[in-house]
Amino acid sequence: MLMAGGVMDPSRAPVAFGRRAVPQLFEELQQPDADRRLRALNSLCDLMHDPERIQQTVRAGFLQQLKVLLEDEDPSVRTTTCELLLMLSCKYTASEALLSSSLLPPLSRLLDDSSSSCRRSVHRVMKQLSVWTSGASALLPLVPKLMLKLNEEEDEEVLVLLLSTVSCCSREDVLPALASDGVSLLGQKLSHPSPNIRREAAAAMMTLSVCEDGRQQVCEQALLPVLVGLLQEDDIEIQIHAAGVIMYAVVITPGKQQCLDLDAIPVLLDLVSKEKEEEDRRRVLVMYSLRVLTALAEAPEGRRLLLEQLPLLVARSGAAEEDENIRRAAQTAVSVITWTP
Amino acid sequence: KMAFVSRSHRDPNETYTFSSRPRPVENRPKYRGPPFEQMQSNYGNIMYDRRVVRGNTHGQHIIPTAAQTHPIEIQRQQEIRRRKRAREQFRTVTPEALQGRKHIDIQTELYLEELSDVVVATDSECQTDAFLDKPATPLFIPAKSGKDVETQIEEGELFDFDLEVQPVLEVLVGKTIEQSLMEVMEEEELACLRAQQRAFNELRNNELAEVKRLQEQERRHSEEKERRTAQQREMLKKERETAEKIAARAYTQQYLADLLPAVFTSLRGHGYFYDPVEKDVETNFFPWLMTEVHKSLEKRYTARALLDSKTIQYIFSLVQKTSLCLR
Repeated sequence: MLMAGGVMDPSRAPVAFGRRAVPQLFEELQQPDADRRLRALNSLCDLMHDPERIQQTVRAGFLQQLKVLLEDEDPSVRTTTCELLLMLSCKYTASEALLSSSLLPPLSRLLDDSSSSCRRSVHRVMKQLSVWTSGASALLPLVPKLMLKLNEEEDEEVLVLLLSTVSCCSREDVLPALASDGVSLLGQKLSHPSPNIRREAAAAMMTLSVCEDGRQQVCEQALLPVLVGLLQEDDIEIQIHAAGVIMYAVVITPGKQQCLDLDAIPVLLDLVSKEKEEEDRRRVLVMYSLRVLTALAEAPEGRRLLLEQLPLLVARSGAAEEDENIRRAAQTAVSVITWTP
Repeated sequence: KMAFVSRSHRDPNETYTFSSRPRPVENRPKYRGPPFEQMQSNYGNIMYDRRVVRGNTHGQHIIPTAAQTHPIEIQRQQEIRRRKRAREQFRTVTPEALQGRKHIDIQTELYLEELSDVVVATDSECQTDAFLDKPATPLFIPAKSGKDVETQIEEGELFDFDLEVQPVLEVLVGKTIEQSLMEVMEEEELACLRAQQRAFNELRNNELAEVKRLQEQERRHSEEKERRTAQQREMLKKERETAEKIAARAYTQQYLADLLPAVFTSLRGHGYFYDPVEKDVETNFFPWLMTEVHKSLEKRYTARALLDSKTIQYIFSLVQKTSLCLR
């Protein structure tokens, strides 16, 4: 009665009951027939939605077998193994186990795989791993290679995943990305036609510009005009990230100068003055813009321009403002503007 | 004569065929005449033919199947026959009957049995009837016993689909919903995680930007301060130098002020200003005077020395003389 063979999905292997399910499927994975392995992998992917099964897999140490499968000849087997790894890396303990059982080297070799779906899955896994700090630290040696891939890959989804991986890793340590000429590569992507890529590139640029070097490079490579252009786009995420980059860039004097030359202050004031910010995202944008204005107010021309607009900012810093962060930012801005030596 | 009795021939394919017309057995007289005169067809009665075997064949001399017997076989058979005869000779037989008596075989068992050669046999014959068609077997109706009870299953009594399907459906739907709930929760968890990370990152970026700005400000200020202090130090140094210069000038002036009389005094003290006559007298006259004095004194001394030496010479000679004299 259990072996109702005709009813089963032909692309999935039969699953044993209870505790025996995962070990039996892993035994199935050792078969020489590629078709059976694919079916077993599909069934495993279905099972891995349950955290209990994930724990079982990790504790029983089945991850070593996956290492062999990553180097299988059949590309669909490799792709499905990567999807399985994706399910595992969504949970923290499993991703820790993944990293400690040294699955990263074969995974990174798959970055150069011939099959594009396999590459996409690998990038998905890496993006998921980089969400965790341990994963981001482990992926740091791969950052130069990933930066090279930025130029090679054409597929939009893959580029988006790459950029988010790079930005997560750079939050841990900026140096590898900066060393592999990150700022110029990302600057090219800032003018990409696709909005997703622009958003992710701006986000990555923001993490890079936290470091002093990054800021210098951003100003040197004349990326501020592009960023100010991005500030005026419709997509709020892009605006936020662009504002973030500018926020860091105007800390140094060349940045301030370039921004004032580009006449960015009206744009920023426009962003700050929008009344309706029920959404969180808009609040963040207002915060960032206030910080930019604060930094710009340190320059004399900026201060002069902003003194005229002072009432607006005072209104923001008043008690009427609900969000504490915005209030504080506005107060700082006002204090900087009205500072006299 | 018989036209064609038998014929056999060998096929070129080596199959042997033989065919003959059926013919009755001929009567063969006891003594045969010459062979070619024998072709009379006397049909004898086969029942009286000597060649036909009659009676029971049990125990008869059977002609051996082999056509020729081996001489050894013949010898052995003769041996067997002889031995059998000899055995029969040596067999112990019951002694002969006494005179007037006769041996009779008699049965000693409990129940006597009539022995006779004649087997009681009866002739009987039977004849089956002509076949008739078998009549149809009557239906076997067993005798009725027990009570008659009947039952009937209506439609829908044994199996009601709606009732049966309920638990199966519940399980299916439940499992599916459970699985999908789990997946949705997973996704939500991931989304929550991402949102939390994002919110944290934004706040962090915000504060970090402020920190960087303040850092930069600090740096600028400290640089400015450095520059200012350096400038100030420069200025102070210059001032000090100027003050020193002024002091030095004043001092020098003061020093040089009474330098001139001091110089003149010291020069005069060292004799750089002199009266030329006096100088001349000193330089020229006095040495000459001294030399003249010295000369005259020299003369006196030489004269005195001469005198002294002369006196001593004389005294010495006097002494010599006296000593000579004394001797």
